[in-house]
Amino acid sequence: MLSNLLVTQQKVVLIIDELNRERLAPKFIDGLLHEQGQEADTIKALPTGANLKHVSSFNALITECATNSVSGTTTQAADEQTVGCPGAKPAGYNIILPTLADLLCYQPPAFVFGFLNRLRRSEEVRRVFLWASPKHLQHPDATYILAGCEYIAELVLRLETDTLLSLISRKPGGGVTNKRYSCKVTKNEFQVTPLDGGPAAPAPQLSAEEEQTPEPVNSTFKIELDEDEVVARNALTLPYERASEPSEGNIIYTPDADDDFDEEDPDEDLCI
Amino acid sequence: MATSVLLACGLNEQKLPGFVHISEESNVDGSFLISCILGQRLRISNAGTLLVCLQHHYQHYFNAGMRLGYNTNIFQGKTLGVIDVLSDMAGQGLASKWLRHPDGQNLTEQLMEDIRSQVETNYASRNSYTVLIDNLSILFNLGATKLQVQQFCQDLAALSKERDNLTVITKLSNSDIYQLTDNNVAKLGQVRIQVLRLKSGVFREVDGKLLIERVLEEGKFACEETRKEVLYKVNDRNVKVFTPGEIGVKV
Repeated sequence: MLSNLLVTQQKVVLIIDELNRERLAPKFIDGLLHEQGQEADTIKALPTGANLKHVSSFNALITECATNSVSGTTTQAADEQTVGCPGAKPAGYNIILPTLADLLCYQPPAFVFGFLNRLRRSEEVRRVFLWASPKHLQHPDATYILAGCEYIAELVLRLETDTLLSLISRKPGGGVTNKRYSCKVTKNEFQVTPLDGGPAAPAPQLSAEEEQTPEPVNSTFKIELDEDEVVARNALTLPYERASEPSEGNIIYTPDADDDFDEEDPDEDLCI
Repeated sequence: MATSVLLACGLNEQKLPGFVHISEESNVDGSFLISCILGQRLRISNAGTLLVCLQHHYQHYFNAGMRLGYNTNIFQGKTLGVIDVLSDMAGQGLASKWLRHPDGQNLTEQLMEDIRSQVETNYASRNSYTVLIDNLSILFNLGATKLQVQQFCQDLAALSKERDNLTVITKLSNSDIYQLTDNNVAKLGQVRIQVLRLKSGVFREVDGKLLIERVLEEGKFACEETRKEVLYKVNDRNVKVFTPGEIGVKV
């Protein structure tokens, strides 16, 4: 499912839609979040239309997130279930922004970037989703604005054709991956299959049986990942990332199976 | 007279979708659709209509209506309201409010205010109400920016959502330079009718092509929509439609 790839640890998600599906944007993102078990009260959206004229609407969203900050048992549980990682950061709100075309219709680009940055820095915000359709961007500097959004985003999904999409993922440690997937879209399902071929590989017409058992590449190692493995990998916080997080000093001790560990006197073996 | 073309577009019913957009490609004229829709709305009893004349003045629609078999003058002031921007400007010159921008409002804001006040006056006493705007691209000629036109259309879409049985029908000649505005307006509605020229050139028996896209249901990840293509020919007193391939060169 596409939601496995998009609802991850990365905070700012940009969806570039080349297919003119802009009318579906809020439902689309909402659907992805619900698929990953994100509860409705953790999802916030800005009002659309003429309300975007007023800066107060934007400020209200930030204030609302700050005041109703989710302390987290429910959302944290949902998140842990999602990413399958007990050490995940505490959850916050998922923000669905209006489409970039609508934002630029009422606000200048500088304000949009400033607002995106405020959301990115906010501790109460878990994820921010922004939808941009190049066919709807009529700002004279639309190309640069879109490039700016791509720069800010940690996850860039590009819906290229009805059957093809690409995903650029930037990890906190600096690693960048660019992967292409073939996709199969129905009204309520968005299935993706990783493509192993070159960048312009057309979507193969596979039967159901072939899809389940992809052909092995010419290697003695299993180098391709399936969906679950991608999710697990994205969710994994690497030791150097953990080291850069501000946290109190902890001693993590994992006893061996043969250990005779005495909780009352942990220093028993020191003979002091 | 115009039933077949309205039937093809799905606009022959009493209850219309909330927002309908007509896109007009460069070098074709889709004004006949406005006249056809106007005639159909006027024939429905107690259905209110507001005609916003931007491309042609009211007299043009009266003349077109007479050819298609209805008299707009009978309905004017009763079920038909008219905002005739062009006639106002021709009559009052630079003193016209559309050129003076009183109260610091720009053209589109002023037009929206007039539309809102007409709707508020007439909507309550009518079973349904239709706002017909012909043609948005004239706003560019009158000095509105692309963003102002987009905001104006967002306001119109919001208006159609505020009230049941209120339909907004807009037309825009994209002239090959307003394609992005056209896309932004079309996404606000459920029905988009594209008036296209024939790719193969000019043909005596067909004037152009209508591509009708209608969103039936919005799913989470995709829309269920229908697309229909018909050819049309505007005659002196009627509009004929043909399915593609029906007309050919007769040897």
